[in-house]
Amino acid sequence: MISPTSFAYVADLLRRETAMLCEPGKEYLVEARLLPLARAAGTPDVDSYVARLSTDLAERARAVDALTINETSWFRDLAPYQAFTDAMLPPLLESRKHVKHLEIWSAACSSGQEAYSLTMLLKEHLPPGWTARIHATDVSTTMLERVKAGRYSQVEMNRGMPAQRLVTWFTRVGNEWEVSPELRSMVTTQHLNLAAPFPPMPVFDIVFLRNVLIYFDMDTKRDILRRVSTRISPDGFLLLGSSETTLDLDDAWTREAAGRVWMHRPRTAARPTLATRPPAAPAAATTVAPPAFTALSQTGA
Amino acid sequence: MHALIIDDSRTMRSILRRIVTELGFETTEAGNGQEALDHLESGLTPDICLIDWNMPLMDGYTFVTRVRADERWRNVTLMMVTTESEHGQIVRALAAGAHEYVIKPFTPDAIIEKMELLGLVAQEVPA
Amino acid sequence: MTVTMEPSLGDVHAVVEEVWSSFLGAEEPILPLPTPMPPGGWSAAITVSGGWDAQVTVQLTDPGAVHVTSTMLMCGEDDCTDEDLRDALGELVNMVGGNIKSLMAGAAVLSLPLVGHGDISPGSHLVEVCRLDLTWRGEPVVVTVHTPPPPAVA
Ligand SMILES: C[S@@+](CC[C@H](N)C(=O)[O-])C[C@H]1O[C@@H](n2cnc3c(N)ncnc32)[C@H](O)[C@@H]1O
Repeated sequence: MISPTSFAYVADLLRRETAMLCEPGKEYLVEARLLPLARAAGTPDVDSYVARLSTDLAERARAVDALTINETSWFRDLAPYQAFTDAMLPPLLESRKHVKHLEIWSAACSSGQEAYSLTMLLKEHLPPGWTARIHATDVSTTMLERVKAGRYSQVEMNRGMPAQRLVTWFTRVGNEWEVSPELRSMVTTQHLNLAAPFPPMPVFDIVFLRNVLIYFDMDTKRDILRRVSTRISPDGFLLLGSSETTLDLDDAWTREAAGRVWMHRPRTAARPTLATRPPAAPAAATTVAPPAFTALSQTGA
Repeated sequence: MHALIIDDSRTMRSILRRIVTELGFETTEAGNGQEALDHLESGLTPDICLIDWNMPLMDGYTFVTRVRADERWRNVTLMMVTTESEHGQIVRALAAGAHEYVIKPFTPDAIIEKMELLGLVAQEVPA
Repeated sequence: MTVTMEPSLGDVHAVVEEVWSSFLGAEEPILPLPTPMPPGGWSAAITVSGGWDAQVTVQLTDPGAVHVTSTMLMCGEDDCTDEDLRDALGELVNMVGGNIKSLMAGAAVLSLPLVGHGDISPGSHLVEVCRLDLTWRGEPVVVTVHTPPPPAVA
């Protein structure tokens, strides 16, 4: 098993490069993730592999990639995507009718399933003459390469991709499925570490920031949410992962329920009220909840 | 909720049975399309059929066309679970009336997510 | 026009890895290391015919076959009967063969699997076009693809 010194080195490396926490107790996981790399690099065990990381930059990048959790799937959790088409698109189609364009940010995009899922919904729901762009960003350059390639294994396609959309938008290339050029042209990629100052970016109408805040400590989460709030338009929407919440973090946000998810919105004085509300939304659309309130569990099924 | 699992491999049936049982389904198994049709004829009304393609006696594709041709079973959801993975085969199965398609090999998550997509299991409500 | 008559080694390897990681446990990955295959053991074969003709074979040692079967059926290694082995290995080669079939152009059909103890010798008219030597849980795993010889070039 990995030595305490090596483990501490790896945890520190991960924290510096991605802000992700790797707490004691995760030794087994680190060992399991690094062992294949150690073998491939021809080092006898994980400790001697870790020793090599202090001088070998390319290997260090590989190690960080291997330790990052990239778990994702198509239309992950379904409800956020339902909210996207039912609750977010209608008001935006109204308020953006003069520009006929939507800017969407898939922050921490992993291999791109979130971004491409959104392009499919946009293709199905945008009126003629409208355009949209999904800006997909991640700290891992390996993941960004995957988004650009737009190729997915059979096992990845099985994870939540409806069969009808698969046959409409993908072609078989060898053992993989490749997303159509039409959808790929809607997605741009950029390397972005959420824990560091953001590079210049446009202001977004919708931000998906899902299943990444859970890996950070409270201060980092606060800081990220504060900076995200400056990149989101006053009538825009932010979606978090199903176990993530802005509640105990920041009063710069308000929440509206859409079915089984909360849509977070920047708290600004003047925002036109929504014309369309999802049927399942509770009476109080904007909630300032007491700290003990647990998010999400009380909506829907 | 009831699932009819149709596959000529006992091993695959047991893998699928473990997954859907966890989701709260009762299960019936059939080793080919004909056996599965016999179950339906004798009154079994599953909510979903999980259907392999290549099987002796009657293959899964034929089973789908037979079920779709009969009004009595129009509420049964049909999901292919097969190693047939060419684009054209998936198109064929959907055109014949299959609702969803899972390609073997799969992980349990894939089956669960497709069942959620089909509205057959409630999604986990986050705590 | 050139017609590719054999799948690439990399694609076949990816297929085998997907089958293994889905059903046989991600903790014990199948490694691209050759381990000598002793004689005897189990073979599972399936044929593809139509637009592309081939035979796909998976060979395992006796202990390797029992590991596969007990993992897929979630039963004790001592409880695996020969019937269980035939069924589990048949499904294994069905998944490997089915996915290899879809790598190739042209409509083709998959046979039902054939599983036996000892070699299933591919028809003598077939030639080996692809061979993977792998190791899983310390036991060798060999995956081969055989096809008819290409027509003699004039
Ligand atoms: C679990 S995935 C979530 C993917 C997708 N958003 C979803 O919900 O399915 C987490 C992703 O966050 C990325 N990540 C981790 N730390 C990051 C950071 N500091 N900045 C940007 N992305 C980061 C990882 O590379 C990984 O791709």
